[in-house]
Amino acid sequence: MPYMNVEEIEAALDALAASYPDAAQLVPLPNRTSEGRQSQALRIGSADVRAGNAVVITGGVHAREWVPSDALVNLAADLLEAHSRGTGLRYGGQRFLAEDIRSVVEELQLVLFPCVNPDGRHHSQTTEPMWRKNRRKVRADLGLHCVGVDINRNFDALWDFRRHFAPDSGVSASDDPCHPQVYVGPAAASEAETQNVVWLLEQFPHTRWFVDVHSYVPAVYHTWGFDENQTSDPSMSFRNPFFDGRRGRGNDSYREYIPGEDVEALRELGTAMNEGIRTAGEAAYDFEQSFSLYPTSGASDDYAYSRHFVDNANGKILSFTVECGRSFQPSWPEAEDVIREVCAGLIAFCLAAREQARRTTGPSV
Amino acid sequence: MSDEDLHRIELRAQTVEELRSFLDGIDLDLGCRPAVRRRSGEMVMEVYATMSQVNGLRVSRSASGVTVSVVENATQTGRARQAEVSSENRFSSGNRLSGQLPPSGLGIKE
Repeated sequence: MPYMNVEEIEAALDALAASYPDAAQLVPLPNRTSEGRQSQALRIGSADVRAGNAVVITGGVHAREWVPSDALVNLAADLLEAHSRGTGLRYGGQRFLAEDIRSVVEELQLVLFPCVNPDGRHHSQTTEPMWRKNRRKVRADLGLHCVGVDINRNFDALWDFRRHFAPDSGVSASDDPCHPQVYVGPAAASEAETQNVVWLLEQFPHTRWFVDVHSYVPAVYHTWGFDENQTSDPSMSFRNPFFDGRRGRGNDSYREYIPGEDVEALRELGTAMNEGIRTAGEAAYDFEQSFSLYPTSGASDDYAYSRHFVDNANGKILSFTVECGRSFQPSWPEAEDVIREVCAGLIAFCLAAREQARRTTGPSV
Repeated sequence: MSDEDLHRIELRAQTVEELRSFLDGIDLDLGCRPAVRRRSGEMVMEVYATMSQVNGLRVSRSASGVTVSVVENATQTGRARQAEVSSENRFSSGNRLSGQLPPSGLGIKE
C-alpha cells in the first residue's frame, strides 16, 4: 500500500465517516487552499461536539513530511474498526485492550486533521519532493513569483519575530517572501491552512490537548518553543512587551513562564506517548521542550497552548509536536514502521489524556 | 543530479555552542526544526544544502571543529519516492474495484 495522494486522504475520510456513522463524522474545513482544495477533519467520538474532552491532532502541515498524514488516516481506521468489532489493537509489542479502545472512542472527542497543507503535499509528491510550504503566490503584486508560506511559522504566537525576539537569537523564521523554507507570511494567520487549524480549535471549545505530527528527528516536544521554560515568574512571559527584543537566546536571564502543574501534566502525557512508541517500535523517541538550538515563532503548538493566556475564556490546551521517524520520505516499508510507532504513541497519549479527564471530570461513560 | 538538489548533511561537534557558531550567519535548511541530538558523546544535527553550499562550508568553516558529512542526495531520494505515491484513488466511491471501502489500518485487531 503506497503513500496516499491528497485526493485519497479526503476520500479515505469520506469512506470512514460513511462506514462508521455512529462513531465518526466529517468536519469540512471552511477555508479553501489557494489551489482550491477543501480539507476535511474527522471527528471520532460522542455526537455532541459541545461535550467531552477533545484531542485535536493535525498532520501534513509541512509538505515534504509525507508520513504524518498517512499515519493519522491509519489511526482513524484502526480505532474505528477495532471499536466497531469490539477488539483491541496491537502495534509491534504494544497492545491496547478492547476496553482501552472503547474508552478512547467513547470518553474523548478525537478530532483528526490529517492533511493541513494539501497543495504543498501534492507539489512535493509530484514535482519538488523537498517542498515545505503551502503553494500560495505571495508576491504576485510586485511581479515576483515567490510561492509559499511556512504554515508552522504563520500562527499568532509571537508571529512578529523581529519585534519579540532578540536580534541574535537565531529565531527560525524569515520575513523574506522568497525564503524557500520559513517565510512567516504577510500577517499572522494569513493562510487558509492556518485559519483551518484555528477554526478547529474554536469549533471544539472543549479541546484540552493538541498534537501536531511532523517528521523527523525522532522526538516528542512540548511547549514552549520561545525560550527555555521557568515556573516561578508569571510576569516573564510572551505577553509582556517589556521583554520584546530579549527573548530566544537561551542561557540568559529571560525564560518563558509555564505553570509547574502544566509541566507535570505535559510530562505525564509525553512519557505515556513515548512509552507507547518505544514498545511498538525500535526505540523511544527523545522527549524535550520545543526550544533547543534556536527558538521558533508562530508555531502551532505554542499557539494552541498560548490561547488561554491571551483570553481566559479559552480553555487550556496542553500542546505537543511529534517529530516522527528518521527521514522525510522513507521507503514505504519503513514508513509503515513509523506509522505503527505514531499510532501506538497517540493511542497511549489518548489513554493518558483520558486519565487526566477522569481526574477532573470523572468518567463520562 | 541538479546543482539545485538538496543534500542531507550531518554536522557533528563536541558542543552545541560549536554548532551554533558554525551555523551563525548562514541560512541553511534546518529540516523540520533545528534539533540537536547527543550521539556517542557528540552533538549531532542534520541540515539540508546544495553541494555548492556544502563545499563553501567546508572551505570557509574548516577550522570550526565541526565535521560535515553528506548523507544522501535528498532531492534524488524524494524523486524516487514519488514512485511510491498512489496514482489512483483507492477510496473513491467511484472506484470500480473497491466501491467506497474504508482504509484498514496497520494495527492488528485482536
